[in-house]
Amino acid sequence: MTDKELLALKAKATECRLSVMRMLRASHHGHIGGAFSAMDIVTALYFYKMHIDPKNPKMEDRDRFILSAGHKCLCQYAALAERGYFPKEVLDTYGSLDAVIPGHPNMHELPGVEANTGALGHGLAIANGMALGARLSCNGSRVYVVMGDGELAEGSNWEAAAAAAHHKIDNLTLFVDNNGLQISGKVTDVMNFMPVGERFKAFGWAVEEIDGNDMAQIVDVLDRQPFVKGKPSCIVAHTVKSKGLSFAEGDVAFHYWKTTDELMDRGESELKALLEEQRKGA
Amino acid sequence: MIGNFEDPRKTFGKAVTDIALQDERVVLLSADSGKSSGFGDFIKASPDRYFEFGIMEQQVVGVASGLATTGKIPVFCAIAPFVTARPFEMFRNDLGYMKQNAKIVGRNGGITYSDLGSTHHSLDDYALMKMIPGVVIIDPQDPNEIRSAVKAMIDYVGPVYMRIGNSAMPNIFEEEPFVIGKGRKVTEGTDVTIVSTGSVTAAVLQANELLKANGISAEIIGLPTICPLDEELILASVEKTGKIVTVEEHYVYGGIGTMISDLLCREYPRKVLKLGVPHDYATNGPYNEILAKYGLDAAGIAASVTGFIK
Repeated sequence: MTDKELLALKAKATECRLSVMRMLRASHHGHIGGAFSAMDIVTALYFYKMHIDPKNPKMEDRDRFILSAGHKCLCQYAALAERGYFPKEVLDTYGSLDAVIPGHPNMHELPGVEANTGALGHGLAIANGMALGARLSCNGSRVYVVMGDGELAEGSNWEAAAAAAHHKIDNLTLFVDNNGLQISGKVTDVMNFMPVGERFKAFGWAVEEIDGNDMAQIVDVLDRQPFVKGKPSCIVAHTVKSKGLSFAEGDVAFHYWKTTDELMDRGESELKALLEEQRKGA
Repeated sequence: MIGNFEDPRKTFGKAVTDIALQDERVVLLSADSGKSSGFGDFIKASPDRYFEFGIMEQQVVGVASGLATTGKIPVFCAIAPFVTARPFEMFRNDLGYMKQNAKIVGRNGGITYSDLGSTHHSLDDYALMKMIPGVVIIDPQDPNEIRSAVKAMIDYVGPVYMRIGNSAMPNIFEEEPFVIGKGRKVTEGTDVTIVSTGSVTAAVLQANELLKANGISAEIIGLPTICPLDEELILASVEKTGKIVTVEEHYVYGGIGTMISDLLCREYPRKVLKLGVPHDYATNGPYNEILAKYGLDAAGIAASVTGFIK
């Protein structure tokens, strides 16, 4: 990937963050912290890596994205809208009655959503099934999962982690969005699952650690999937909660943000300034 | 009326295997439960479409959902409480809410794991599954119905829960195509309607011999499908007899007794006698003795029906 292409991808992530802000303008509340920490990963998947077709969202050999931490859905809605799965006007309905973009994604309401997540600890097992189905069909499809670090406390994830390694599901890539914070505070204080990478290695996964807000590092690991043939891949992505909003980064109060106009204005100004800079470079 | 006996698990396993060997969409899943579910021959014949996961039922339900999204038809069979109560949220969200074409089979259902105690009984599975919108619930009443129900279950597109037992089960009906949602009128009668499901229907038929000897004419309705309920068949019978008794190997709350009471409350109010297991942790011991203790054997059913209509 050239420097210009990389910068264009970074700009796309900023555009997606602005689309998230658009949804928050409509609803005045939402899970911003995790949406922004995972935004760079999700952007790289939808705009660089995944074999998908917004005009044919059910294409049989498509790659699949499972947002196990369903509350981060703002980042997925933004990416889907930017990618052309549905008109951007839909973003203005976030939080309204009968919205097709509810607070946790619903596959039957919105094209491009592959699973109804929200209850934590479901996504990895569903992804295992999808990856095994793709393997049986020999269609080359890969499954990508984004899981939260607070979500690691759900025991069902560890059932799924064991199963993926046992069945050598190497068309499966898991990003742990390790922003270090969950609703009650630091993940290490609430229930310490560190070191995450060592735990997945012990379960039989191939593991690498990256800065999950560094687009070059995300692209690099995506270009090397699977890390090891015959093993599922885990990427421990060290991220910053609410990445991109100077006043909210690393602040657990923004796990779920009840917005104010003043801070919305400030956040949008920051993101627009960043976007202008990125576009100049690209 | 009471024909040869078969092991329901073997009957089920063979029925699934016969279809799966012909239909490459079918994938069999196990939580250390495959061989006990009668999948042994399939494992040998087609190991690539059989996945063993060990004892992790929550994960297997999720896998079933994921497989179904790729056009496969997963069939997961394990001990009934461990595929219903334990992974309830996975069943509700990953199969129900996601509307996935997966088939979950609870074997050793009811109190057939009799002496293993309450942890291994499933006396709430109809109720739990009934609460998940869109799930079809099947409990075949004899081995012939198991065979035809397996075919219907796999042909049907959507989530299905099937319960089968463990103890040897007599054939009581001729094998015929299974229609999901349709009950069968087993006997014509005028004094009372008896509605039952699952393996206890054989005991109801035996009870009917005792009732006949006492001059009671019972109209027996067998329900191999619990959800959707065959409302039309039940209402037509109750409108004729005016009295109804429900019989099930399930708690008296939440099962067919409750569903039929809801129906009658809405359409044709009548007193309903619900026979089943009291809402408590069931005792343990030999299966037939537990059934008798709770009045679910032929003598107990006949006595309850007789007392109810007099």
